[in-house]
Amino acid sequence: MADALERITNLVALLLETRAPLTLDQIANELRGQYPPGESALRGAFERDKAMLREIGVPIDSEVLGGNDAGKTAYRIDRRRYELAELELADDERRALQMAVAAARLSEGDFGLLKLGADGVASSAVVANVPDDPALPALREAAAQHAEVSFGYRGRPRALHPYAVLLRDGAWYVIGHDLEYLTVRTYRVDRIEGDVTVGATGVFQRPADFDVRAVFPTDPKLLGDEPASRAVVRVDATRARWVAAAMGETAVQRTLPDGAVEVEVPCANLDAFRSWLFGLGGHAEVVGPPEVRAAVVSWLREMVGVR
Amino acid sequence: MNVRRGPRPTADRLRRLLVMLPWLMERGEVPVAEMAQRFGLTEAQLVSDIELVSMCGLPPYLDELIDVWIDEGVVSTGIPRVFTKPLRLTAPEGFALLAAARVAMQMPGAEPDGALARALEKLAAALGDVVVVDQPQPPATADISAAADRGERVRITYWSATADAASERDITPRRVFLDRGRWYVIADDHRSGEERTFRIDRIEQWAPTGRIDEPRDVAAPAADEWFLDDDLRTARLALPATAGWVVERYPVRAVEADGAGLVVELAVTDTRWLQELLLRLGSGATVLEPDEWRHLGRDAAAALLARYEGDGNAAS
Repeated sequence: MADALERITNLVALLLETRAPLTLDQIANELRGQYPPGESALRGAFERDKAMLREIGVPIDSEVLGGNDAGKTAYRIDRRRYELAELELADDERRALQMAVAAARLSEGDFGLLKLGADGVASSAVVANVPDDPALPALREAAAQHAEVSFGYRGRPRALHPYAVLLRDGAWYVIGHDLEYLTVRTYRVDRIEGDVTVGATGVFQRPADFDVRAVFPTDPKLLGDEPASRAVVRVDATRARWVAAAMGETAVQRTLPDGAVEVEVPCANLDAFRSWLFGLGGHAEVVGPPEVRAAVVSWLREMVGVR
Repeated sequence: MNVRRGPRPTADRLRRLLVMLPWLMERGEVPVAEMAQRFGLTEAQLVSDIELVSMCGLPPYLDELIDVWIDEGVVSTGIPRVFTKPLRLTAPEGFALLAAARVAMQMPGAEPDGALARALEKLAAALGDVVVVDQPQPPATADISAAADRGERVRITYWSATADAASERDITPRRVFLDRGRWYVIADDHRSGEERTFRIDRIEQWAPTGRIDEPRDVAAPAADEWFLDDDLRTARLALPATAGWVVERYPVRAVEADGAGLVVELAVTDTRWLQELLLRLGSGATVLEPDEWRHLGRDAAAALLARYEGDGNAAS
């Protein structure tokens, strides 16, 4: 019996070359002596070969035949779907991609580069630790091919028409039209429970005016039920310059004689607002509005144990 | 690529073959050593794979399906029939390439219409333009990164959370990196005479000094490893279920479910950081260990509360 690698290589060649799809009997006949004898051993070995080919990304089409072979499954590989689409990358573009892969250090990038003709060896002075998640390739592909996805999230099943995947603040998100809430929703990819199921392709259109950054604001303090809410926070002289630089001079409402500033800060999301505020330690204090100041005071009182 | 030794799974060998063969066919002949190096194989591994595929065949072309041979250390091919084009990108490969290119476009020095931007445009056209990376750089990033390339000393004003104060120092930036959404620079700190890691968003002011230091290669840390220093102390915290984000945001050494909540062990670089974290977590979180940190959160809250309640009115 032939080596498994030799047999599978022959199988790929056979399925690429054939004009008409082939049944398992026909395949076994063409690859005479390479599959183990006996119906169930043959079937088992063929299924393992097929699984391996799927794993490395070889697209195998199957169809159920009619006529004389009614009910039998036949297989072939569509050359147009098998072959890498020519990207026509210029040499400098290929090198730039190599640098990018070296910088972002994502696990499958090196092999992708080999397929594109780059030699996969590069180093980058700047590097990024980009989180990798097994769900990401499927989510990205579903978004590109307009396929519905479903997954578990916080103990509930979700179904989504994915519009995009977004990396922000070191975490990946998938954004799309939620089929239960009937509105655009954002889910954190590393909180997805179990596998992502991908449905048929081409089932939706992404709205032409869709813009991730508009749907999911950069500033988490804006993510709340009342996006217009703002608080005024006084920041003392020690941190005033940093806050003004980070938030932009337009946020600064006034500068006090001692160098402190009062800045206007979004607080639609109180959790995010508190995080920001407490990050400044004793250098910041909420001036108003009274209900935001009261919310911070009651938060602190609970911690101290005064009610 | 790195060469792996030992027995190789069939899937790995096949995956590589389906890229190697088209590459070889385009060139006709290539030295064994060059091809092995390029595809991350030992020469013996490459020779055994080539010998194996040279035996592949389908009726009626039993011996000429893949016409390859090795002679005097050179791999050659005849007229190609199948395997003339590489296998398409898999979903993980496509994702990695697009994501890497998008991330790199937000790195210091990326040009909006440079080679990378052009490569990205072609990739996105072929694979779909659905990956967005939003990783803004703090203002100092580009200059600090350029200084790292030149090995130039920079005078910076740096906010130290530990000292709760800003101070001036000279540093020679060595390597800039992004981790968990934040930009850092590893630099020679000429004030302490040691290598230090600085958060770039805490560099408040910076100016070149014109002084160039000897080049020194500094490896970038792998994700998380630089938090896992054994010298750091560990705090054990009980958290409510709603505070699961702590596990995602900070490298934790251990997590256990505890009824409705969680018990986590966190590496603590300084108590001021832990105080800030406890303030954000509020009354639902408790320090279990060590003993001397049990009251850290309460004390921090009491100190802040005194500001709010002390004079009765902040708006002076």
